Amino acid sequence: MSRLPRGVRDAVLAVTLVFVVGSIAMLVAHASPLVGFGALFSGALGSPSELGETLVQTTALLFPALGITIAFRAGLFNIGAEGQLVLGGLTAGYVAAALPLPGVAAIPIVLLAGALGGGVWGALAGFLKARFGANEVIATLMLNVIAALLATYIVNGPFKMNGATAGETASIPHGSWLPTLIPDTRLTIAFIIALIVAALVRFMLARTVFGYELRAAGDAPEAAKRAGVDLSRTALVAMSLSGAIAGLGGAAIVLGVLHRFNTALSPGYGFIAIAVALVGNLDPLFVTIAAFAFGVLQSGALSMQSEAQVPKDVVAIIEGVVIIALAGRRYFSRGSDR
Amino acid sequence: MGENGAGKSTLAAIAYGSVAADEGTIHVTGVVGLVHQHFKLIERLRVWENVLLGCEPRRGLAIDVPAARLRVRELCAAYGLELDPDARIESLPVAVRQRVELVRELQREPAVLLLDEPTAALAPSEIDAFFITVRALAARGTAIVIVTHKLAEVIAHADRVTVMRSGKIVDSMRVSDTTVAAIARAMVGGDLPTIAARIPTETMPALAVTALRAGTGAGALIEANFEVRAGEIVGIAGIEGNGQSALADALAGMIPYSGDLTFAGTPLFARVSPAARILLGMRAIPQDRHKEALVPDWSITDNATLGRQRTFRSGILRDRARATAFAQSIVERYDVRPPNAHARIGALSGGNQQKVVVGRALESDPRFVLAYQPTRGIDIGAAALVQSRLIEARNAGVAVLLISFELDEIFTLADRVLVMFGGRIVGTFERGALDRARIGALMAGAR
Repeated sequence: MSRLPRGVRDAVLAVTLVFVVGSIAMLVAHASPLVGFGALFSGALGSPSELGETLVQTTALLFPALGITIAFRAGLFNIGAEGQLVLGGLTAGYVAAALPLPGVAAIPIVLLAGALGGGVWGALAGFLKARFGANEVIATLMLNVIAALLATYIVNGPFKMNGATAGETASIPHGSWLPTLIPDTRLTIAFIIALIVAALVRFMLARTVFGYELRAAGDAPEAAKRAGVDLSRTALVAMSLSGAIAGLGGAAIVLGVLHRFNTALSPGYGFIAIAVALVGNLDPLFVTIAAFAFGVLQSGALSMQSEAQVPKDVVAIIEGVVIIALAGRRYFSRGSDR
Repeated sequence: MGENGAGKSTLAAIAYGSVAADEGTIHVTGVVGLVHQHFKLIERLRVWENVLLGCEPRRGLAIDVPAARLRVRELCAAYGLELDPDARIESLPVAVRQRVELVRELQREPAVLLLDEPTAALAPSEIDAFFITVRALAARGTAIVIVTHKLAEVIAHADRVTVMRSGKIVDSMRVSDTTVAAIARAMVGGDLPTIAARIPTETMPALAVTALRAGTGAGALIEANFEVRAGEIVGIAGIEGNGQSALADALAGMIPYSGDLTFAGTPLFARVSPAARILLGMRAIPQDRHKEALVPDWSITDNATLGRQRTFRSGILRDRARATAFAQSIVERYDVRPPNAHARIGALSGGNQQKVVVGRALESDPRFVLAYQPTRGIDIGAAALVQSRLIEARNAGVAVLLISFELDEIFTLADRVLVMFGGRIVGTFERGALDRARIGALMAGAR
């Protein structure tokens, strides 16, 4: 089966699941699915400002999902996008608040710093895998916890910044904030950057020699090794890139949304992004669409709760079921889907 | 008889009853027994447990073990087959396992016994012994049906032969009234492709192997000393599991090894990567096409460049135009079907997949080619083409090392034959002085 029909099939399955599971959950919560979904969609897409907020969520999910896409395509189950995103945000927050150059000039440097922070965190797992054969699932999962605690320590401990409240860095000068796209929303050019990264990742995978070797390592490691692909090096580079893109996402939240680093930076974007990447069938084009769909769920959840009295946890239930269904499908169809 | 995919095994399974027929009927008097090509034995259990599985003699709720043992002994004695009822399957060699399968089917007293590719895993001497057993069974009145693709066995042992092609029976004849060529023609549906002629070549040193040792356990390579010269095919004859895989992996740089490898004057230390070996002009046709050679989900083009991805590039980008042109040239020269370089390779038949694997190795200016079971599991037409191309490569001055478990293939291709047993080279024969009986004996461990 080729990639495209499978991507479409997965998308249809995901959308069907969203409505079926969502309706059941709403009925259990004594609410009308029609009213519930109506509130959810109008809350997410009903006005320019609501659409803006949806795209903010889309952006926050798209960066880590693209990082995960690279790692998964290389056959590496990077569960650590959350930690990589936090580390990227932390690095960006410190560099931005401490940097002597104010204004727009700081933006690219801060974004790069974020990518570097996340990249180092990803590279660490990649190194453990390449050098010692450590299972990357375990390594990245544990690095998530370390990242969260490290951030808490740095922000509150000896590196606490002057004038900063608990759990945060000092705020970033207004001139270094990312420019907004829609006035009076939190939507910034980070969304455009995410789309550019998506296009670059797609191009890298399809057209470059490195992308070819990376896909070979993921799809048929034994054949790739015999074909001269250095599996260790590929794992290291793929994990670094994966982490860098997640870290860039963290930096984008810091520079565009919070304007400081906060330990509560991510409500689990790095985990939801795993589902986004899988629903998007690990193709950056579909991953982008999936990120938007999950962005709708994320941003519509609150208005669903306030307007239709449906607990916003229904969205968490929907996301959970989609993740289990698609991850399970992938797992069970491995090998048989030939 | 019939090529791979002709429908032989399916027909056998329908006759046995494990696959339901879509339509039509099968008439049989008595029970049908079937011994599968891949044995269906439980490795951890003993011989008697496997033989009597499902019909164990009982005493109350418990199995009557002494009676079971006795029953297996009686069966063995009745059919003249030697077996220890208490041996565990995992400790038994392939030929003995096959006997267990046979006894298991025989205890059901079949009127018809189907044997699916029964000699695929046996050594030449074991094959002879096997056919003596089968003859004896036939003499007792059992109808024996052997599913095989080995022409020589049919000619030597069968009374009648039925040929299948593309799911249909195309011919049925008495062996005494026919010839090898006639059977082969019926199998392929036309004349057999002729194999390229070998021309005299001036050989030059290419690969030298000295005191090579690699791998661990049963399939380890203990010691190998030999040379493969440019312009010759060196064949390694041996039964699977005697160190061939360790040798192949060491040459490809996939596993650590000790000893000296020299290729074209360059010492190849174990740390020299597979990529560096490919750059030196070393190519491989791996044994396991699906796992070691191909990415099934990729197109023919993407698979054709695998191994030389650093050659088909411009800067950091893949040179897709050149890759497609290269793939297209393989598709044409090797008659790959469908003739579409963008087709997904996993959707092709095994023979066509193998043509791509062989083509990308031979059409990329190789200096040395390791061909490990290059015609395994592919049809006669594709096999003849692959063998022809190997001879043409040799004629053009490539050094070829052929590892094969099929003696016929070795005899067809090799200029020199090395026999491998127990991780060592135990004999060397020049093409002019091939001694089939002696080689067969060495393969089985004779000294």
